[in-house]
Amino acid sequence: MHEFSVTKSLVDLCIQEAEKNNFKKVYKINLKIGKFTGFSPDSILFYFDYLKPNTRCSDAEIIFTEVPIRIKCRACGKENVIDEPILVCPDCGRAEIEILSGREFYIESIEGE
Amino acid sequence: MKEVKVLKPVLVSNKQRAQENRKKFDEMNALVINIISSPGAGKTTFIHRLIEDLKDSYKTLVIEGDIKGQVDSQRLADEGVDVIQINTETECHLDAFMTAQVLPQIKGRYDLVLIENVGNLVCPAEFEIGEDFKLAILSTPEGDDKPFKYPLLFHLARAVVINKIDLLPYVDFDLDNAKRHIKNNNPKAEIFEVSAKTGQGFEEFCRFLKKLLDARKKKNKD
Ligand SMILES: [Zn+2]
Repeated sequence: MHEFSVTKSLVDLCIQEAEKNNFKKVYKINLKIGKFTGFSPDSILFYFDYLKPNTRCSDAEIIFTEVPIRIKCRACGKENVIDEPILVCPDCGRAEIEILSGREFYIESIEGE
Repeated sequence: MKEVKVLKPVLVSNKQRAQENRKKFDEMNALVINIISSPGAGKTTFIHRLIEDLKDSYKTLVIEGDIKGQVDSQRLADEGVDVIQINTETECHLDAFMTAQVLPQIKGRYDLVLIENVGNLVCPAEFEIGEDFKLAILSTPEGDDKPFKYPLLFHLARAVVINKIDLLPYVDFDLDNAKRHIKNNNPKAEIFEVSAKTGQGFEEFCRFLKKLLDARKKKNKD
């Protein structure tokens, strides 16, 4: 699955950021992951364990924060959080939807020393 | 222990590379389409027919993404189509780096670059490769709930082609239902009903494409 290359990018980016901030070791990676993406935290963790040895991230753990799918209806103006990525307004049933959040996939911060 | 803000997308390097690819395509002034579908939806036959219909007015290059092998690209090359192969080996999608690797192989100018992504509805949607837009192809034997099950691709696609429309009487596919799912995901999506086998619906799709191709040509002159 595509999480291999994604996790590789994640580790590379963390190592870069660690170097930039003079961290010898990263202990925590705070990752935001939108519910409307195709990435699976389980697969990311699986590949992370494979990729992290002998890097500055070898003792790091990933803390996932899920970002809900928040939509705004262009027809009635109401905002809603939806559980499934079905882009229909729960209030008026129209489909002119703007996605306010849920597509995020970024490193919020790293912790280390 | 110290915490530092990073606030960077994990795929930031892919995005940057996609923009560099984009520049290269812009130099040629080519319209670039990232074609995504599940395996067996008829992408290669669709591309064949499209090139046949456009060849008198536009020069087309196909970039063919496959996990392994070159069956599809050989088929295109045998017909005299300019085609470049990318084998992704283990990956289920094309990304901007894989695409960048084959760009030096492009000789000459093209009006249209069709990038046939790896057959998969999930992963290719997440990776930009330098395209103008994503085209999703869905075929009637796959069932009308595909856009419901794989919403991200249909959300991001500018146009959706429903292929194998000639099989409609023989398969369990509710056209209105499929269109409703697509529109729910993406009200702006342009939907085309075609059969790459019989040619049905190609006139309309070509009209859509020619408008974009001519707009791009015009942009070059200005
Ligand atoms: Zn509404």
